[in-house]
Amino acid sequence: MSEPLRVIDFGCCPPLRSQTLWHAIGYGVSAGAPAALSFVRPAAPYVCVGYHRGLDEVDLEYCREHGLPVLRRMVGGGPVYLDADQLLFQICLPAGAVSPARQQALHLLLEPAVAAFRAVGVPAGLDEDLEICLGDTKVCGHGAGQIRDAVVVCGNLIEQFDHARAVRVLAIADPAQRDQTLALMRRFVAATPVDPVAFRAAMTTAYAAALGLDPVPGQMTGTERAALAELDELFVSDAWLAGPARRAAPPAAEPVARQVKVRAGVWTLSATRDGARVAAALVKGRVHRVRLYDRGLDGSTGQAEQALIGLPLTAVAPALAAFGDPGRRLAAAFGAAEPGRL
Amino acid sequence: MEMAGWAFVAGFPLALDRRYEAETHMWVLVTEPGRARIGMDPVGIETSGTLAQLSFAPVGTELAVGRPFGQLEAAKFVGPLVSPVSGVVLGVNDAVAANAGLAERDPYGAGWLIEAGLDESGGELAGLLADPAEITAWFTTKIARYRLEGVIAQ
Repeated sequence: MSEPLRVIDFGCCPPLRSQTLWHAIGYGVSAGAPAALSFVRPAAPYVCVGYHRGLDEVDLEYCREHGLPVLRRMVGGGPVYLDADQLLFQICLPAGAVSPARQQALHLLLEPAVAAFRAVGVPAGLDEDLEICLGDTKVCGHGAGQIRDAVVVCGNLIEQFDHARAVRVLAIADPAQRDQTLALMRRFVAATPVDPVAFRAAMTTAYAAALGLDPVPGQMTGTERAALAELDELFVSDAWLAGPARRAAPPAAEPVARQVKVRAGVWTLSATRDGARVAAALVKGRVHRVRLYDRGLDGSTGQAEQALIGLPLTAVAPALAAFGDPGRRLAAAFGAAEPGRL
Repeated sequence: MEMAGWAFVAGFPLALDRRYEAETHMWVLVTEPGRARIGMDPVGIETSGTLAQLSFAPVGTELAVGRPFGQLEAAKFVGPLVSPVSGVVLGVNDAVAANAGLAERDPYGAGWLIEAGLDESGGELAGLLADPAEITAWFTTKIARYRLEGVIAQ
């Protein structure tokens, strides 16, 4: 007889509980409770930041003014905007049940979600970056992590997506970069408005089959309920929200640079250096859109921008060199945005 | 190529001047009595995927065998860095915290993770792999097993 897979539908919950409930399941599975597939829908919009990410990536003032809570999760990924039009799902297993190779574990735990999308009529696939996509458009965000001795992979069914708000909650000072980010998000992130009841059923079938487990309606254990109370406190504490010790500070305050990931392989960046300013949209390592500013460019700004479209990042500096000192300043600003790390 | 204190096993460098925790692939290099540097070997790093972030418990945090002293993130997967010793965190490698890729490029050197003050008993060190022949055999077997299981590339 197969081991059970608890299927727990938490329904519609306040933002805090839409995170802490499934983190508590992680504690429970770690303590020996059966594996669980859980679902929760946030009752209100909020912003959720990946474990390692800085709060400076979020426009905290905007969030405060608009009553959007900001929470930090224990799993990875970037800051995301979540609301009632997204059904969040989580699969949680003992750490020993999955491969020690994280990519392999992620693949194993995302494939059933892909199967569920397909079962409800969305011909999704898992791309080489382990994004769940429809063509080249991401249709499901995901994050993963080990919570004590349990592995959790979470994702979402996006029934509708407020692209504008998803970009607005991010701290992006450069208006050109903000516009580019929104354009790319509209192009590369999409909703799949399928019946959530059918999706839950398909997810249950797919995960049970893939993991060889017997799906049963589940409840939280006593350990999990106790953990929930702890997590409710932890997640609203300033210390937790601040995140782990930040990365070592860069050597100087200037240049100012900002990178925003829209999906794997799709980024925007902006940077300022010595009076030169760049804002660029990058798709699969090539310049998709770019805005340049340098006083010395005079009337050749458009020409310089056009010269960069379609170029791989390695070709940007040589192309800008044709525009003399302003081109070199712009190339330095481009380099300051560390496109090599994207 | 062979160098003193080193072996190369199935394409992975292996430093033989330190101790290893067999499950977590953490190494422990005693730098002076009661003090050790801790890092992750290349096989541990390989199974993690491309490292995006590393974070460590602050200096002064108590360490316990089997408990996390930090977290690593690769491919949106956050997982614990598990301590092979008990003691206290004496220092963290800010350079690797700022650039996790350093642990991939130089796992035995500049990519070290934390410095630990060891518990006085020092008994835990005896539980780690220390003999070069034993370390090499473990590393060889582990790589072969991981390759057979597809955990790491052939």
